[in-house]
Amino acid sequence: MAALAVTVTISLLWAGLGGSHRPGASSVTGSDAALPAAPTPALTIGRPEPLRSSGFLSRWTSLRTTALARVRPAASAGVVAELRPTTPEGTANVLAVLRARPDAAGALWVKVRLPILPNGRVGWVRRQAVGAYQTANTHFVVDRRGLRATLYRDGKAVFNAPVGVGTASWPTPAGEFLVRSELTRYASPFYGPVAFGTSARSAVLTDWPAGGFVGIHGTSEPQLLPGRVSHGCIRMRNPDILRLAELMPVGTPLTIQ
Amino acid sequence: MSGHDSFDEFLAAADRDGAIVETSAQLEAALSRRRLLVAAAAGASAVLLTQAGPGRAAGGLSRSDTSILNYALVLEYLQASFYTEAERSGALSGKTARAVRVVGAVERAHVEAFLKLLGPDAVKRPLFDFQGTTEQQQPFLKTAVALEDLAVAAYKGQAPKLRSRAVLAAAVGIHSVEARHAAWMRELFGIKPAVHAFDQPASRASINQVVASTHFIARQPRTKARSKPKYTG
Repeated sequence: MAALAVTVTISLLWAGLGGSHRPGASSVTGSDAALPAAPTPALTIGRPEPLRSSGFLSRWTSLRTTALARVRPAASAGVVAELRPTTPEGTANVLAVLRARPDAAGALWVKVRLPILPNGRVGWVRRQAVGAYQTANTHFVVDRRGLRATLYRDGKAVFNAPVGVGTASWPTPAGEFLVRSELTRYASPFYGPVAFGTSARSAVLTDWPAGGFVGIHGTSEPQLLPGRVSHGCIRMRNPDILRLAELMPVGTPLTIQ
Repeated sequence: MSGHDSFDEFLAAADRDGAIVETSAQLEAALSRRRLLVAAAAGASAVLLTQAGPGRAAGGLSRSDTSILNYALVLEYLQASFYTEAERSGALSGKTARAVRVVGAVERAHVEAFLKLLGPDAVKRPLFDFQGTTEQQQPFLKTAVALEDLAVAAYKGQAPKLRSRAVLAAAVGIHSVEARHAAWMRELFGIKPAVHAFDQPASRASINQVVASTHFIARQPRTKARSKPKYTG
């Protein structure tokens, strides 16, 4: 009975909207015919698609202000390190974002990898201390044993080249790090045409200027590569580092194994 | 009010660090050097188009329509980025998480459609800093309501200014979808989705106030430099 009532109601509404050809309605139809045709919309909206799998996506951000990294997401937690918003090269201090969570008061904290010694430390900084989240679908992996480096995009290898790594006295540190800057047009053949800054630090050269950060850069001695020849940096032949610069954005995670 | 007035005011309110305006200025200088008025390849050309006189931009759209469409595109970028970041954060749950997946997909489809229509005249996607609002349920919903209401008001305010009936037809189609999103987010946030018999057009000032209060458009961090490396070597 209710279904019948709904059907009747809809039929009456449809008739009222001119949906039926009633006797005497020809004048309305005639007026419609005189109107210009409705335009075709200029936009064609495609089918909404779900987000692609984010298995190969990582997040990074940059510090907006000097911030304290703490062992837990709480203002009362112990301090791991004080972080500055810029690197020794003057670029933004970029951090890998691992997760976020609110504290008991509802303030949001972000867990980040820290560019400090010992390598591999993490800490929590206030969300308001960092800027926009950005994503990377690339991953740079350095194989110290095989003396090769590979760049992956969406999980697929898109670049592979021989490298030089640290000697036994000045080893390249292993671990999970981040590519956090790209330097170009400096006058130093030793570093080649491009140098990427990373969050990895030499555990040996602690008194090195600017803190002993490990870079990925070109070289003036390509005949030494591949080999264990550096003070901890990852050296590449200049054509390779130039090609890598076209493929690898800042914010790319770096794994040294 | 002309379309470009609204776009300029929108930029002034939304562009917290001047990132878009800065990009536009650089582009304008480059174009001046090349004696080109309309950029064919640069994404920020919409601002230039807004400063040009009447005429037609590339693709057969009038310049005022192109300006309005770019204004809408910025809002679509804003919404699409907001929902995408919220979904990826994994911090939302229940009905809200399900709504985010649906609405986010729609907003991304809107962006793709605008990019296809505008072609080389489309503005670039700004960098958005949502300041944690994508990572907690209540802040997310509160912001979602504000952004959806903003989009509805923006489309309503700009639609009568469109010259092309085909563009108007598309804008009306999107406007009603945004209104459904607004009602959905209001329902999830626990406020009544529809209480008025007629929506008054929002003033430019009120739209700009909402946008300015978010401070969501941010400057790209400086990650490249010419300084000499200090790495261990």
